Amino acid sequence: MKQAPPGAEPLVEHAFRHEYGRLVSTLARSVGFQHTELVEDAVQSALVAALRSWPKTGTPDDPSGWLYRVAKNQLTDEFRKAKPLTLDGGAAASGATSPTEATDVSALDLGAFEREIRDDELRMLFVCADPSIPAESQLVLALKVLCGFGTNEIALRLLTTEANVYKRLARARARLRELAPSFDTPPLEALASRRDAVHRMVYLLFNEGYSSSLADRLIRRELCDEAIRLGHLLADHPGSASPETDALLALMYLHAARFDARVDGTGGLLLLEDQDRRSWDRALIGRGMLLLERAASGPSFSRYHAEAAVAAVHCMAPSYAETRWHEIVELYEMLERLAPSPLHTLNRAIAVAEWKGPHEALVILEALQPPAWLLGYYLWDATLGELERRAGNLDRARIRLERAQGAAPHPAEKALLARRLLACTEPSTPGANCPQTRGAPDGGTMTPAPVAAAVAPTR
Amino acid sequence: MSKYLYLYRTSIEAAAYQASPEDIQQMLAKWTAWKARFQKEIVDMGDALKPPGKVLRDGVVIDGPFIEAKEVMGGYSIVEAESFEHALEISRSCPMTLRPGGSIEIRELAGY
Repeated sequence: MKQAPPGAEPLVEHAFRHEYGRLVSTLARSVGFQHTELVEDAVQSALVAALRSWPKTGTPDDPSGWLYRVAKNQLTDEFRKAKPLTLDGGAAASGATSPTEATDVSALDLGAFEREIRDDELRMLFVCADPSIPAESQLVLALKVLCGFGTNEIALRLLTTEANVYKRLARARARLRELAPSFDTPPLEALASRRDAVHRMVYLLFNEGYSSSLADRLIRRELCDEAIRLGHLLADHPGSASPETDALLALMYLHAARFDARVDGTGGLLLLEDQDRRSWDRALIGRGMLLLERAASGPSFSRYHAEAAVAAVHCMAPSYAETRWHEIVELYEMLERLAPSPLHTLNRAIAVAEWKGPHEALVILEALQPPAWLLGYYLWDATLGELERRAGNLDRARIRLERAQGAAPHPAEKALLARRLLACTEPSTPGANCPQTRGAPDGGTMTPAPVAAAVAPTR
Repeated sequence: MSKYLYLYRTSIEAAAYQASPEDIQQMLAKWTAWKARFQKEIVDMGDALKPPGKVLRDGVVIDGPFIEAKEVMGGYSIVEAESFEHALEISRSCPMTLRPGGSIEIRELAGY
C-alpha cells in the first residue's frame, strides 16, 4: 500500500479539498449519487478525525487510504442506522449497492486505484451537469463536491452570499436525491451525452475566476485552476475526450497565461496593448497551443475553437500593433455564426477598428440592433465611447464614457474609463493624439471575450 | 516540573461552524507544528470530546446540549512545564487560541 507506482502522483501531496472531492466522488459512486449529501458528511467526519488524531499519532503512511476507510466506516454506520427507514422503497429495497461492497482500497494496486478515482471524479462531473439542475446550481455543486470548497469559500469566490450558495446547493441536492438508483454506476460512455453541458459548466467556472477584480484576484484565480483541472478530467479520459474539450482547455490555458499580466504594480488595470508581453506565461501558452493543435485535428469547429484561436492570435502577436487583426475579425465572424451574440459583433467591431480604423467599426455597430440588456451594459458604452473618441467625435464620446463609467462594476475599470474621459476633455485637436493614445476597450482585454459572452444573458 | 491540564473550549456558534477541507488542512498543519515544537513538554496530546454529554447530579441524569452553557468543552491536552508561567507561555502558541471563539483553561495538576 505504501509503494506508489512509477509516474503516479503521491496521494499525500493532494490538498485536503481535492482529497475531499476524490473521496466524495468515489464513495458516492459506490453507494449511489442520491446519497451524495450523506457521503459528504462522512468525508467531512473523516477529515475532522484526521485533525484530531494525526497530530497525536503522526500522519499515516497512506493518508488517502486512512481517510477512505474512516469515511467508509462512518457511511456504513449511517446506512445501518437508516436501514429501517428505507426498507419500503428506499435505497435498501431498490438494490443500491451497500457501502460495504465499496472497493477495498488495499486490495488494488495504486495505479489502477488512481485511474478508478479519476473515473469516479469524471462521473461526478457528469452528475453535476445534470440538465435538470439550473446552471448556477450545477456550478456550486461542482465547487462543493468536486473542488472541495466550503460554502463560505464558494460565496467568497462567486461574489455572492453564503445564504445564496446554500439555496443553489439545496436545489442541486434535491435533484440528486431524486436520482433513480439505476443511475448508480452508469457507464461513462452513456454520460458522454452530457459533455456539452459539462463544457458549459467548466467554461462558466473559468470565466467566474477570470473576470476577477484586483482585490479578489488571488482567490478567484483558484476558480480558473479548478476549471482547468476539471477540463483535464474530461480531456484525459479516452471515453470522454473530444476536440471541443481540447479547444476549451486550450482557451483556458491561453487566457490563464495572461492572468497576472492584466494588472500593473500599483494595482491598476492594464489593457492588452499596455501589458508587458514578457510577463505572459510561456509554458501555459505552449500547453494551450498544443491543445489547440490537437483540437484542430478533429472534424468539428466549435465556439471554443474560435475563442481559443482568438486567444492564440493575441498570444502569438509580438506586439499589440503587430496583431493579426484580420484573423481576429474572421474568427469573431465565425463566432457570430456558431454562437450568435451581439457581444461577438461588438468584439469584431473592436478588431475592425484596429485593422481598418474607428469609422469602419462604428458602421458595424450602427448597423447592429442591440437588445435592451446590451444597451445597459457598460462595455457597450465604453466601446462606442472609445471609437467615437478615436473618430474625433469628442462630445459623443464623452456621453458614452460617462455612462460606461457609471455602470462599470469594478473600481479598476472605473479608473480606466476616467482616464479615457480625461483624454476627451483635454484640449487637443481630434486625431492629433489618437495614434498614441489608442486605448481600445478590446473585448479580449478589458474583460476577456469569453467573459463578455458569458455575462450576457443567452437569448 | 509540574503537569498542567489544558481544557479546550469553543463558543456554541464556533462549534456549530463547519470547517472547510482547506480550514481543516491548515489547522492540522498548525497542530502538528505545535506538537513538534513542544515535543518535550506535551506529555499527552489528549483527546477530543464527543458531543453531546450527560450530567449526573443528585441522581438525575441531564442530557446535553446544555442550553444554559455559552461554551462547549471540546478536548484537552496535558503539558509538563517548569512553572505556571511556562505552561501559559506554551499555551499561547497552541492552535486552539487561533480558533475563533476558542479558549484554553490552564490548570496545574495537583499531583496526588
